[in-house]
Amino acid sequence: MIQMTNVAKIYPNGARALVDISLKINKGEFVFLVGPSGAGKSTLIRLLYREEMASRGQVIVNGWNILRMREREVPHFRRNIGVIFQDFKLLANKTAFENVAFALEAIGVSPKEVRLRTKKMLKLVGLGHKENAFPDELSGGEQQRVSVARAIINNPSLLVADEPTGNLDADTAWEIMELLYNINRRGTTIVMATHARDIVEQMQKRVIVIEDGRVVRDENMGAIEYGT
Amino acid sequence: MGLNSARYVLREVGSSLRRNIWLSIASVLTIMIAMVILGASLFFFLNAANLAENFESELEINVFTQEDLSNMEVSALGERLKGLDGVQSIELITKEQALAKFAQEYSESLVEDLGGENPFPDSYKVFVTEPELVEGVAKKIDSLTGVDNVVYGKEVIGPLLQFTNWLRWVGMGVVAIFAVASIVLISLNIRMTVYSRRKEIEIMKLVGASNSFIRWPFLLEGMVVGLVGGLFATLIVGMGYDWFAQYIQSTLTFVPVVSESNLIWKVLALLVLIGMGIGALGSIISLRRFLKV
Ligand SMILES: Nc1ncnc2c1ncn2[C@@H]1O[C@H](COP(=O)(O)OP(=O)(O)O)[C@@H](O)[C@H]1O
Ligand SMILES: [Mg+2]
Repeated sequence: MIQMTNVAKIYPNGARALVDISLKINKGEFVFLVGPSGAGKSTLIRLLYREEMASRGQVIVNGWNILRMREREVPHFRRNIGVIFQDFKLLANKTAFENVAFALEAIGVSPKEVRLRTKKMLKLVGLGHKENAFPDELSGGEQQRVSVARAIINNPSLLVADEPTGNLDADTAWEIMELLYNINRRGTTIVMATHARDIVEQMQKRVIVIEDGRVVRDENMGAIEYGT
Repeated sequence: MGLNSARYVLREVGSSLRRNIWLSIASVLTIMIAMVILGASLFFFLNAANLAENFESELEINVFTQEDLSNMEVSALGERLKGLDGVQSIELITKEQALAKFAQEYSESLVEDLGGENPFPDSYKVFVTEPELVEGVAKKIDSLTGVDNVVYGKEVIGPLLQFTNWLRWVGMGVVAIFAVASIVLISLNIRMTVYSRRKEIEIMKLVGASNSFIRWPFLLEGMVVGLVGGLFATLIVGMGYDWFAQYIQSTLTFVPVVSESNLIWKVLALLVLIGMGIGALGSIISLRRFLKV
């Protein structure tokens, strides 16, 4: 599913975000990326959906070699990857329904199918009754549900999440984790960068620890210590 | 782009204009103001050029014939004048016409004092095609047989040409300055629009929308905004100019004002087209920063 070989990322301003990363993630896995702030987690995530390009090494996602991909192939590549963020990135002037429907309309699905699938998806994330609310009328947890719905409505095989619970209180965070857990159980590979130790400890999933742009530990189950 | 996408694009243009109503109004106003400025300066230029041409067309060469010429010889001279390079038209003023004009302009009694004598010779008014040619043509006429005297505004031609050229340059300068001002206004507005749309485009790309899918709503929206702004500008400039032309014509009757409705309509149509073009162009420019196309 994901293969990174000797990947380095140096930003134009000279910041060495990733130094030498090699890792392999299989289909159906649930993987946490942890590490201190500034370790390079977000950068690694951005390489996966080709928001940023590696400076060195090879990145293969869903069988696509990202560095060799042509610019006009990118939209098709992206349709098979869902992305969620700490700040939700919802469009403030669209309702919950429209924010989710948007992902289908963008790829030319018929209006009837858009309606059907969007309604179903909003029910799945527990927001069937709030489809006409605008983002500022929703709680943080609800907004993140909308963004999860938007990310998975195209049935992507990979879902990447950059600190999706970072802005949420503990209870709400767990609700989102439950949602992600269920999505993963249906076969979607999930890569999630996070700071939340309690979540990592309780979920008992694979944990990759990154420090200063390097993988310093990669454990198959559960709790992990890093930095201070 | 498929049918579903086309439908989406149309709906999106409508709802985006409505939901970003203040930005839409600001954009329409910006383009309107820019087009009003441009339209006003275009009309200024047209009138400056028209005025210059009017002044220049009054440049004439007066050719006085020798007194003893027969009517035949006078008209033969006319034929030769007509045949000269650079001559546009000629007009014969007979000695009788000259006397009558004199009597009308000065006094009947003075004419009576002449006791039936007519001191005026037959003369020709010669108009040339280009004002710069007046001097050369006048010299050539002077050497023709039967010509007694050639009179033209030797002293005024130089300054007049300078003045009319200056008038044209000022006209063009005004258009240029205000065109730049319009562009600045519009690019400020585009920057505002882009800023408000950054997130939208980012998310569109995130969910795998193709570049053309992203581009079309913005392009159409820009065109609609430009069209509306251009139409308002046309209305304002059209009515404003109409009022202005009538005012000038009734107060400064000697100043010629451009009033061919054909030309005016062309300028107004141009404003609408430019408005639409700028709207679309603005969208394209602002999108280039986000789409690598
Ligand atoms: N867009 C960027 N431009 C320049 N430097 C960046 C950019 N994004 C991140 N960095 C730098 O790269 C390093 C890793 O950052 P990041 O990947 O955000 O780490 P994390 O998500 O683990 O906190 C940091 O030193 C950060 O300053
Ligand atoms: Mg980060």
